[in-house]
Amino acid sequence: MSGEVFRGLRVVELSEVWAGPFGCSLLGDLGADVVKLETYPRNSETRPLREPDPRVADGDGPVYERVNTHHHGNRNKRNVAVDIRTEEGAEILRRLIRWGDVLVESFSAGTLARMGFGWEVVHELNPRLTMVSLAGWGQEGPYDGYIMFGVGFDAMTGHASVRGYPDGTMSDVIPILHSDATVPLAWIFGVVGALMERERSGEGSRLDLAQIEELSTNVPHLIAEWTLNHRLPQRLGDSDPHVVPHGCYRAAGADAWVNIAAETDNQWAALAGVAGHPEWAEDGHPWASAAGRVRDRDAVDAAVTAYAGSADAWAIADALQEAGVIAAPVLAPGDPLLSPQLHAREWFQAVDHPFLPDRLLGGFLWRMRPDSPSWDRRAALLGEHNDEVLLELGYAPDEIARLRRADVIGNRYPDPA
Amino acid sequence: MTTRALAGLRVVEMTEAWAGPVGASLLGDMGADVVKVESYPRSSMTRPVRPREATMPGDGPPYERDALHHQGNRNKRNVCLDIRTEGGAEVLRRLIAGADLFIEGYSSGTIERLGFGWDAVHEINPRACMISLAGWGVAGLYAGKVTLGAGLDATCGHMSVRGYPDGPMEDVRSNFHSDATGAATTVCAAITALEQRERTGEGCFTDFSQWEGLVWQFPGLLSEWTMNGRLPDRLGNRDPHIVPHGVYRASGDDEWVAVAAEDDEQWAALASALGHGEWAREPHAWATLTGRLRAREAVDRAITTATRERSAFDLAEAVQAAGAICAPVVSSSQVLMSPQLQAREWNHIIEHRWTGPAMVGGFLWQVEPDPLTWDRPTALVGEHNEEVLIELGYSAPEIADLLSAGAIADGYPQPGGAPRSPGLQRRAGDS
Amino acid sequence: MQPLVGLRVVEVGGTLAAGVATKRYSDFGARVIKVEPPTGGEIRRLAPFPDDRPHLDTGAMHMAFDTGKRSLALDLSTPSGREVLDRVLADADLLIAHQPVPELRALLRRVDSESGPCTVAITAHGLDGPYAERIENDLTLFGWSTRAHRHSVQGREPLRYAPQVGMIQVANTAGMLGLVAVWGRRQDGRRRDVEVAGVEALMGNVDSSFFLWAVNGAVQPRSAGLYRGIYPMGAYPCKDGHVLFSAARHPFFTNLCRVIGHPEAAFDPRFTDPSQRADHFEEFRAMLEPWLAVRTKYDIFHEMQEAGVMCAPVLDASEVMTDPQSVARRSYVTVAQPGPGDEPIEVTVPAAPYRMNGLHSDRWQAHAAPRLGEHTGEILDELGYSRDEQIALFRAGVTG
Repeated sequence: MSGEVFRGLRVVELSEVWAGPFGCSLLGDLGADVVKLETYPRNSETRPLREPDPRVADGDGPVYERVNTHHHGNRNKRNVAVDIRTEEGAEILRRLIRWGDVLVESFSAGTLARMGFGWEVVHELNPRLTMVSLAGWGQEGPYDGYIMFGVGFDAMTGHASVRGYPDGTMSDVIPILHSDATVPLAWIFGVVGALMERERSGEGSRLDLAQIEELSTNVPHLIAEWTLNHRLPQRLGDSDPHVVPHGCYRAAGADAWVNIAAETDNQWAALAGVAGHPEWAEDGHPWASAAGRVRDRDAVDAAVTAYAGSADAWAIADALQEAGVIAAPVLAPGDPLLSPQLHAREWFQAVDHPFLPDRLLGGFLWRMRPDSPSWDRRAALLGEHNDEVLLELGYAPDEIARLRRADVIGNRYPDPA
Repeated sequence: MTTRALAGLRVVEMTEAWAGPVGASLLGDMGADVVKVESYPRSSMTRPVRPREATMPGDGPPYERDALHHQGNRNKRNVCLDIRTEGGAEVLRRLIAGADLFIEGYSSGTIERLGFGWDAVHEINPRACMISLAGWGVAGLYAGKVTLGAGLDATCGHMSVRGYPDGPMEDVRSNFHSDATGAATTVCAAITALEQRERTGEGCFTDFSQWEGLVWQFPGLLSEWTMNGRLPDRLGNRDPHIVPHGVYRASGDDEWVAVAAEDDEQWAALASALGHGEWAREPHAWATLTGRLRAREAVDRAITTATRERSAFDLAEAVQAAGAICAPVVSSSQVLMSPQLQAREWNHIIEHRWTGPAMVGGFLWQVEPDPLTWDRPTALVGEHNEEVLIELGYSAPEIADLLSAGAIADGYPQPGGAPRSPGLQRRAGDS
Repeated sequence: MQPLVGLRVVEVGGTLAAGVATKRYSDFGARVIKVEPPTGGEIRRLAPFPDDRPHLDTGAMHMAFDTGKRSLALDLSTPSGREVLDRVLADADLLIAHQPVPELRALLRRVDSESGPCTVAITAHGLDGPYAERIENDLTLFGWSTRAHRHSVQGREPLRYAPQVGMIQVANTAGMLGLVAVWGRRQDGRRRDVEVAGVEALMGNVDSSFFLWAVNGAVQPRSAGLYRGIYPMGAYPCKDGHVLFSAARHPFFTNLCRVIGHPEAAFDPRFTDPSQRADHFEEFRAMLEPWLAVRTKYDIFHEMQEAGVMCAPVLDASEVMTDPQSVARRSYVTVAQPGPGDEPIEVTVPAAPYRMNGLHSDRWQAHAAPRLGEHTGEILDELGYSRDEQIALFRAGVTG
């Protein structure tokens, strides 16, 4: 059974990369009817036209349909490709706005308003529609028009300054897109709140989400170090100042690693037992207490390292978990397919796509009873639903044909060659 | 080895009944040299000259065979003085002059009239500490008022909450709880005063109101009133917030067992020990605390149905093994059979001149590495007159003069008997 | 009026994840009862603490995430505690729970009736399968979800992000789904049970490298932050710190080259041809870094952004709150938090995750986080427990 929660909810997506598109796929997972309005004829950042590109899968068909970041973030939607900079394209967007319950856009602040679709206009077109804007720094404030991906918000919330190796430099810190992971979770929460409010007021809401602000709500402990104790948080790597052992230890085999943490004396005693050194946890031993382990951090880590190197990461994790200790192998990109758990839960999804190789894709973020999500629609091809959607919007077939001829809508990007 | 925690400490004790005497014995247990000053010619309450219920069998005067007195006066020496005589008063002065601590338990004002109030004591020996155990305290409005523990129990609110919930006040038995707690408080007061002297070099005075010491034991009773403006209920063995909590009938004649399950875990243990594991399994109404509170009568009845089939001792074994609170309600004689007390060798058999060997209860605590020992059985009246007075510098003729003058004594006149003659007891006891 | 007014939410577990998952509910107006162990749960025990002095009411995580909730301290290992919870849940729209899986399964069975609340179960591996009962934390979730592998350098140990960031993401996933489930029931009347497995929630979202590998077999190099193949990407040193670029492709790369005075580089195949780029990384650096070295991170930020280049200053925790945009939008707010002393502690916490109907509307409000068991009595009163019953529960250690 597919998701039913948002059955009948109409969502218009005007966004790129991840935070907007992925959230819309989650709404689609939950049963919403999502129409992704794809930029046309300019291609988006995540729709490269040329190979080689490390993001592109082998295969025939257009390059921009084979991008690895595209598929998980665009399932369960329909797709129209419209040049909204033309008046006729703008009219299609107007009709979509009248049709929809939710509009999600992730342009930089002010861009959509300049294109004639500011909140006042949108609200006038459809007072019941909720508009979600995802500009990096929000709709108001001095950074109007600034552009950024998730890696920049990570830098500006203080998160980047505490990631990485304790002995490394800032330039060694690997850029990440964490805000892209968390922002969709926040704006969907906001959309449901807005729908609840609409039940009372009859009107849609304006959600102004600054991605940098949303990310900051995920790391309040970083500023707390400063505000409470006037101290900058440290770059900790895998260690925890108050839990020993807590880290990533080298296991047997090439470049193999296992995460291990003993958060309590009981877990420590279990670890000591599994490692063949029950005396480590006996009264009188300096490592038997949490305080003693913190004092003796390096020695404890050395002892755990010696144990971790005695077998492969999965075996170490199995043995420790059996005894009640927190432990996990560190998986390389393809390793999840080795997990009996993920197979037992049928997490992987076999997706049939005309231009992709036959592979198992990642599954869903949740299960829900009675209506768990299912991969009902693979990531749609560019403009795949132009005709279907425009018919629903009241366009006659000959009008649609004319729009296509005028290149207001399309279903393929120009060949760069 | 006797504990020597307080070795070298010299204590003069002039108290009667229980709180003061036992407090002094507890000091003696720990090695203090305690000299009890016995009243003469009036004998104290625990030195009855006529036999009474508590008089142990044997020859010799009844005042040497009183069980209460035996239990409460171990590990002391005994001098018997009439301090209303100048000779007796001088002996007490000399005792105080050499003492670290003077404990007296007369009603408020009495010791001053006798010339041994704090000012006088401090004058005699600036380093001596003094503890007064007047029932309602030395300072205040109740000078001269006398009481025993039962009176304090009545005036502190305790008596009004004891007894059967449905019974009248007249049915509530007296108890002497202040004596039990007062003895320990006396030890605490003594050590505290001596600690202070260590720092100041000067003795100090402790006004220990036994009444206040008793009120302090019942903060909950007082708080029901002060915090909630409500009088505490007479609960019997019930606890308003714990079911079951009570004494239930066991199989024998007038045999009883105390049972309590203070939380869900104990309740599950009790239920299984009584053969009714289902009582603690959700969703049984009794599986939760609030469910049991609401069904108090039914729970109590169900437990009684189970307990009255079995002996109290068996029940206690079974329930405790399961992990709940349960104990037989034992009689005095059953205490002696307790395997636990026997294993700890708690009871002592004490040889006494007039009672012969007698079994008595042991100490309130044990100390490692030098355990408490019962070095001195309860002394006879004036048994150490001579020994102590010689230490105080009296010569043998002076002691004989004091004895013949009635300033010191070693026995009390028998009612209706011959007039008391000096050295009565010594002649009766020794050849 | 706040959007979630009238919604009744119960949080069970006392963990970080449980607390994070319900934060947005209380901040947007729902009534949240935080059911936590009388000894204080994990979220209250996590650092930092003011003056590094641990206290159950002053942990930064607790003060940031438990805003506006009511605390019911309850020992759920006893039948008596579970009975209280049953009554709390009888009135609830939503239960969000994070407990060891065997306890979680038992809890879910108790509410599994049509009249029960919607539920969200937070787990590491799900409620079933061979790993269901394993215990994991933030660190090991990173290990399982391929994120640690991605976040590392070849030959060295894989890394997590800042402490607890993965667990917080899992919790926000769960929190979002709780509201979704409640909405679904309002639409079609069907009660919903949601199960979030941390490994799946992390691996199914961005920054999972399985995710990319699954589509095209791509394995991102385990290299340091500065990407040598697609640049500039990562943090580059400047006069007073670092700036971060994400400007590897047109038009950003073209614009950047213009700003630094090398417009020709944007058309130089050494830097634009994917098969040549990596070999010329150092040449590119030699063009960029001298330009950066004489400018401050904010100057670079503004100049690059004006030119249409994705660039951001790298800020530390002391700088993020004084960033002009943070100040203008009031991105951080101060909450007076009752502390162990007489004076409340002024705590700075991040403001709303999104602004609803106006930058400073009253839709989002952060109130003080509750002291442990602060509302136990009030809640038991509401549930109809007599005072003697409340004392009985307290006396037995069931409540706190």
